Amino acid sequence: MEINQVVGTLYCTQRIEGLKHCSLQILKDRKGKLLVATDPVGVRPGNWVFTVSGSAGRLAMDDPKTMTDLAIGGIIDVWQPEQVAKPVSSSGDEQPMELKDQAA
Amino acid sequence: MKICKVLKPLVSTNRIPGFGHKHLQVVQDGSAQLVAVDAVGSVPGDWVICVGSSAAREAAGSKEYPSDLTIVGIIDDWDPDAEH
Repeated sequence: MEINQVVGTLYCTQRIEGLKHCSLQILKDRKGKLLVATDPVGVRPGNWVFTVSGSAGRLAMDDPKTMTDLAIGGIIDVWQPEQVAKPVSSSGDEQPMELKDQAA
Repeated sequence: MKICKVLKPLVSTNRIPGFGHKHLQVVQDGSAQLVAVDAVGSVPGDWVICVGSSAAREAAGSKEYPSDLTIVGIIDDWDPDAEH
């Protein structure tokens, strides 16, 4: 399971039946690459989470028939990334997003 | 299977119920830091074997256990930089 940071929510109205009404979150991995994961936990932008990939990701969801290959397993209580990957602004916004951890 | 070094436990209070009360450990595989379910009770500093894919689920408990990486063994002694 990898450790990723939540960037924000992905709004995707037109989707297949298999995704049901799952909340989709955009995550950023160590190298700054963006991923999309289904979210059974309820995360906020900036949280550090660990994700379950592959068919185990489907079992992490409430309904194991959800068609996902990456699911958020939980929010890490305390996490300091030792070398923060430089955020690659791939989504067109010029200034690199500085995400501080707003975990309660 | 991978040979990894256990760094520290991963504490996650707000997590899905599927994990139950199993320990999660942060393991180092080369330069990548991953999270593995601890099925054998390893301590930070141990060199361990981690299994992935569907075997990780059975090793962690049951077929429905949501894990894709599980620690299945603690290596007696391991010299990381010696070529084997």
